[in-house]
Amino acid sequence: MKIVRFEQVTCRYDEQTILDTFSLDVEQGERLVILGPSGSGKTTLLRLLAGFVAPHRGTIYIEENAVSRDGRILVPPEQRQIGMVFQDLALWPHMNVEENIGFGLKIKGVGTTERNRRVDTILKLVGLPDFRKKRPSELSGGEQQRVALARALILEPKILLMDEPLSSLDESLSRHLAHEIVHLQEKFGFTLLYVTHRSEEARIVGTRQLEI
Amino acid sequence: MRLFLASIVSILLFIGIVPILAMLIKAFMPDDTIPSLFGSMQTWMLMRHSVILASLVTVSTFLLGIPLGIFLGKTDLPFRRFFIFLFLIPLLVPPYIIAVAWSDLFQMSGLPLHWLSGLPGSLFILVSVYLPLPMLLTMIFLHTVHPHLEEAGRLVATWPLTLWRVTLPLIRPALLLAALLVFLLALGEFSVPMYLRYNVYAVESFTQFSAFYNFEAATAAAIPLVLFAALLTVAENRYLRNRIAIPRHFAQKNEFLRITLGRNRWSVLTGMACLAAIFVAMPIGSLLLQAGGIDSYLRALHVAGDALLRSFFYAFVGASVLTFFGFFTGYLFLKKPFYAARTIDPLLLFLFTLPGTVIGIALITFWNTPSTNIVYATTLIVLFGYLAKYTALTARISLATLAMVPPSMEEAAQMTGAGWFQRMIHIVIPLTRHGILGAWVVASLFILRDISITILLYPPGHDTLPVRIFTLMANGSPQLIASLCIVMIAAVVVPAAVAWGWFHYWGTKR
Ligand SMILES: Nc1ncnc2c1ncn2[C@@H]1O[C@H](COP(=O)(O)OP(=O)(O)O)[C@@H](O)[C@H]1O
Ligand SMILES: [Mg+2]
Repeated sequence: MKIVRFEQVTCRYDEQTILDTFSLDVEQGERLVILGPSGSGKTTLLRLLAGFVAPHRGTIYIEENAVSRDGRILVPPEQRQIGMVFQDLALWPHMNVEENIGFGLKIKGVGTTERNRRVDTILKLVGLPDFRKKRPSELSGGEQQRVALARALILEPKILLMDEPLSSLDESLSRHLAHEIVHLQEKFGFTLLYVTHRSEEARIVGTRQLEI
Repeated sequence: MRLFLASIVSILLFIGIVPILAMLIKAFMPDDTIPSLFGSMQTWMLMRHSVILASLVTVSTFLLGIPLGIFLGKTDLPFRRFFIFLFLIPLLVPPYIIAVAWSDLFQMSGLPLHWLSGLPGSLFILVSVYLPLPMLLTMIFLHTVHPHLEEAGRLVATWPLTLWRVTLPLIRPALLLAALLVFLLALGEFSVPMYLRYNVYAVESFTQFSAFYNFEAATAAAIPLVLFAALLTVAENRYLRNRIAIPRHFAQKNEFLRITLGRNRWSVLTGMACLAAIFVAMPIGSLLLQAGGIDSYLRALHVAGDALLRSFFYAFVGASVLTFFGFFTGYLFLKKPFYAARTIDPLLLFLFTLPGTVIGIALITFWNTPSTNIVYATTLIVLFGYLAKYTALTARISLATLAMVPPSMEEAAQMTGAGWFQRMIHIVIPLTRHGILGAWVVASLFILRDISITILLYPPGHDTLPVRIFTLMANGSPQLIASLCIVMIAAVVVPAAVAWGWFHYWGTKR
């Protein structure tokens, strides 16, 4: 099944056209790596899919449902069941690790005990069992990275978007984490759209590469 | 979300802009007021006085305020924070209090009082009142200049030359905006020129209304002030808006270039102390002298204790409502979810620069009908006045703090399924809480010092301390008035000092 489909999508900021009649199909369970020079529209592509930006022309489908079409957002981001790891991670500085990760469950009305259990599970999975009460600012870059990943994964999204998630880390650590991401993807089975500008990372993560 | 924000804007527009429009339409309808307004010699005299006074105030506050802002904001001068706070005091109290203080000083020292009256006196008093504005804005915007730009300048030039050629040109649009603000505020100020008998438009508009209950004349005298404010707001919007950087991230301590004064620090310190003495210590000192012992303060509290309490109450309620509206308006400016959002910012600026008396007259004209007594005859109308005039302040402060939060913070919450209200409550408001508190403090201080709106709009028996003092001034004893003024100063300065200390504590903790 095509889980994501861009159909003749054009995206513009003011005068500048970022994507021009762009089409793309992504299969369920794929790990698609998106490569391209800076300013080529990689982030815009993810933001279109997440629903933060509307395409000027064209349609975006998720599981065959049109979610954005011709300048309109038909399904808002919070209803798309997509997870995203932002380039700047966007960990909330006023919440500790546990609160950051559990926020989505809290919003959905999941009770404290169940929430704690699931936060525990996911923290073990990303390799941060003892960090529950720490603030993001007390963590290293790699640890923050894992928290952001855990926050995106705890809601078990069907699609995960990652925007140059490892670009601020050194090469050996990012290679290591790239392998872990592949691991988690195989375990959870979500579809991954992964933006990077490093070719080594792209080779490790991707089952398919897209140059834009 | 759109609906909620749209209703916030509609309420603001209805409270602020609609009465002004109604007043304008009313004023231009009968064709006898306008010709008489523009035809008479009196009108042109008032216009000339207003423009002369406001221009001189603007130029003087800038010549003094920019160096002051540089010394206090960018050098290692000792006691900087103390001086900043000291210079702020005249802006924090109702302006006429400084005028009362100086006439007490003249009286006690036997100097001829007529030296103080008219243009020179009004100019001097208004300069000491508005000096903090260019000073503060210079300080704030100096922090937005990237240190590399200055370092590049410092490689080839001395500090004064670098400031002159690099730093100040970079913040020139912001300084121009500050100049515009000072000009309009000085243009609208009525209490000081009225006390010192310098007849300007704002005074005319106020006296026509309060002394003669002549609505037509009051409105007619208000119209040029409306046009002035509108003209300058349009100019700001057209030429300055996009050239002023919202201070998105203030430079951290380690990436901000501070000038070391070295051997010059003692002479600068002496100069600073002299200015502080002239603008702050001497007027307040003479009020203290005039007031005398503890008895006069007890008497002052007896005479105006209720008005003082009401001042605090109005400030508390008003600031809370203003913070609420300001926050969401600030959010609206930042995200611009619909096109009308672009127009609200200049409209609020327009209302802020409009003299309080004009807003007052407009609101009275609009609400003084039998069916709207619920507003007109209650304190609700005072609240409307504050909302119309001061939302620009809370909105701008909110905007500045909201702009420092990366959009991804809210987007990340959206990705986890949080709707707009949930994102506001769990993410955006907690992340901007210090800015929200700051907006609240500023709003409450402006309401505490407000005279022009309250004096026109308060329902009988519900006046505030600045209004009470102003009405008692005509026939109260100098001693009583001085002690009332000191009570007023304390009522503003003590909370302001607490807030100042708290924000400093929070700033260093971070
Ligand atoms: N909100 C925006 N408004 C205007 N232009 C934008 C905006 N976001 C991105 N752009 C422009 O779109 C182009 C592509 O940006 P982006 O998708 O971030 O590229 P990449 O992630 O590949 O570096 C850039 O030239 C950028 O300046
Ligand atoms: Mg990018």
